[in-house]
Amino acid sequence: MKSTRPHPAWAPWVFLAPFLILFTAFIAWPLVRSLMLAFEQTFGPRTTTFVGLLNFRAIVRDPMFWVAVRNTTLFTCGTLVVQLPVALALALLLNRPNLRGRTWFRLIFFSPTIVGSVFVGVIFSLLLEKRTGLVNSLLHAMVSRWNPDFPWIDSYVMPSLILASLWLSVGFNMAYLLAALQNVPGDQLDAANIDGASVWQRFRHVTLPSIQPVLNVLVLLTMVGSLQLFDLPFILYADSFGNGPGNHALSIVTYLYQTGFRSGDLGYASAIGWILTLLLVALALVYRWWTRKEEHGT
Amino acid sequence: MKSFLAGAVRSFSPGLCVVAAFGLISAGIIALLPAKPRAGLQVWVGDGNHANLYRALAPEWDRLHPDLPLQVSLIAGPALQSRMLSGFYSGTPIADLVEVERGQIGQVFAGPIEDVGFVDLTQRLKDEGLMSQINTASFSPWTTRGHIFGLPHDVAPVMLVYRADLVEAAGIDVSQIATWDDYFRLLRPLLKDLDGDGYIDRYPLTLSLTNPFFSEIFLLQGGGGYFDANGQPTLNSAANVHIVSRLATWYAGPDRVVGDVNMYTGSGLRLISEGYAVAIPGADWFAGAVSASLPLMKGKFKVMPLPAWEKGARRTSVNGGTMIGLTKASKHPALAWELAKYLYFSPVMAQRLFELTHIVSPMKANWSQSYYDRPDPFFAGQPVGRLFLQQAPDVPLRPASPYFSAAIQMVNNVITQLMASADRRACSDPAQMQPEAQRLLDEAQKAIVTQINRNVFLSPPHP
Repeated sequence: MKSTRPHPAWAPWVFLAPFLILFTAFIAWPLVRSLMLAFEQTFGPRTTTFVGLLNFRAIVRDPMFWVAVRNTTLFTCGTLVVQLPVALALALLLNRPNLRGRTWFRLIFFSPTIVGSVFVGVIFSLLLEKRTGLVNSLLHAMVSRWNPDFPWIDSYVMPSLILASLWLSVGFNMAYLLAALQNVPGDQLDAANIDGASVWQRFRHVTLPSIQPVLNVLVLLTMVGSLQLFDLPFILYADSFGNGPGNHALSIVTYLYQTGFRSGDLGYASAIGWILTLLLVALALVYRWWTRKEEHGT
Repeated sequence: MKSFLAGAVRSFSPGLCVVAAFGLISAGIIALLPAKPRAGLQVWVGDGNHANLYRALAPEWDRLHPDLPLQVSLIAGPALQSRMLSGFYSGTPIADLVEVERGQIGQVFAGPIEDVGFVDLTQRLKDEGLMSQINTASFSPWTTRGHIFGLPHDVAPVMLVYRADLVEAAGIDVSQIATWDDYFRLLRPLLKDLDGDGYIDRYPLTLSLTNPFFSEIFLLQGGGGYFDANGQPTLNSAANVHIVSRLATWYAGPDRVVGDVNMYTGSGLRLISEGYAVAIPGADWFAGAVSASLPLMKGKFKVMPLPAWEKGARRTSVNGGTMIGLTKASKHPALAWELAKYLYFSPVMAQRLFELTHIVSPMKANWSQSYYDRPDPFFAGQPVGRLFLQQAPDVPLRPASPYFSAAIQMVNNVITQLMASADRRACSDPAQMQPEAQRLLDEAQKAIVTQINRNVFLSPPHP
């Protein structure tokens, strides 16, 4: 429909202004400032010294940074391997046509996502507590030989984190996969059924290709989210400032926080932040290139 | 302008114009409103007990200073740290006086000495003769590069808070204990599996193994620590190697004698009250917290000096601590200084503090007060204040460093690795742990030196 009142040229800018102002103030400028900081040493914004590539060179030689990289990578891989299959399994279960109480199950599985990671961290620290925690108490009550002081959190750092993360995020992934499963063409499944395809064959050759685009997005989101791990270890291992026993819980973002906000080395923290950003961008680009190639190939 | 408004009215619907007008007008009003001036003398504290104590002074203060009422704000620790640092770094509003806990001070000291946001009190303390009147060790956490930036709130001497009912029922005479070896030898009968399930339900000593501040208690008691008086790291000192090797065999291995409790939680308090923990090393404030948290356990606890590492050596350590600093931004520095001294050193406030929290004053003149000698029913009639004060002169120094948080974490990681090694090798002999302890502490020392050398503001560079 043709407008009867042509807008003046500045009208779009007025509509864009709120976004542009907020974006510039809270995203663009901090990004630029953090890039500048990465080449400086600071004591607050007033006392700064340009140090060139010193921060980046120090990071490369910093063993704690590499410990954080190793832990974060392990967590990311563990999360991917555990979380998505569990989410898919739950989605498949909830997608069964005759399932009663589907809405309740969806709500139950999705609710940890709503309460947030700090709450989940606190809950898990209570559940997995030695002696007084629910898990050890229950296991000891059922099997008297079970050690009531079993050190879940202290000795099984990465599994504890992955488990807490699973509980937190599986419902979110499940919701996406459930929506994708409900869009799988029924006629194709019927045709495969008539052709005598087994359950596995129908899943492998009809369902999986149909939900592949959603799965690809979830893999990317899970990867990016896992690489930004911070709040769970920070809550579960509060005593050691998020490091965990033997630094086994130290993540890249936790290390960034510690250097920036506990030691006050904002320049070093910014350099870590930029390395993480570049890593995430590279990973996302490679993954998109790979999945697109795969999608085009099929 | 006319054409702009006409264009706006013509282009947008009337409703949008009204919304935009409201937005612009309210934004303009907010922008033009004068900033609310900070009223009175501001004090920021992170502890509820302290806030209540100081607020109780407000009526009297306000009567004497009607133009400058006392404003005490209770702010949670991390928020207080953020607001304090924002004030120092960027000039955002900050109180005249700020109370800071030990774990929060490092970042304040990370830059050039002239940029520290607190007023340098060194000369003032000397001029007023306060240096000699206050327990010397209490200044050390608030001192950097020879400059003192805070008045110490406490002494924080450490004793063993123990379950006297359990120890005495077992016929153990704690006066026979001089060293840690004596302690574990005499209290070993209390190391028990009470329900026959094959697992220990009672330990003679209990700590939070993952909390590095507990390891610090033992390191400082034994002459070890993290930094020397010049701020140089000493992570791999001979004393540290000796002590962490001992701790590893206490905490792990076939002769484990230390229980692990998440001390400052409901779970921890439950285990303390159930007798899982027979004794816990804690400062005066910890004794106060136990008596406040477990009132039903009245009469079952006592305190005793820490057993020494070697016969005749130090029977105490230090844990925690708070200071009050006068900010450079204060508009009323003279009054703020007088208030700070009153809050921390006056006999009246020292008495109120002790009665509320069991914390003993760092002001030596207060040590002769009779309230410290009162029997405490919670501690089976012991004069707890006096017992802690008897340890005050022996409290070890603990020099401050911006890298303190990193250092205690590194040493605690060394202990964690040694514990794993003690379990793996089934080793209970500290001497066998020492080579590994030395290697791990050397690595930690190298790492902390690298961190410190990166800081161009702390000169000269450390070797």
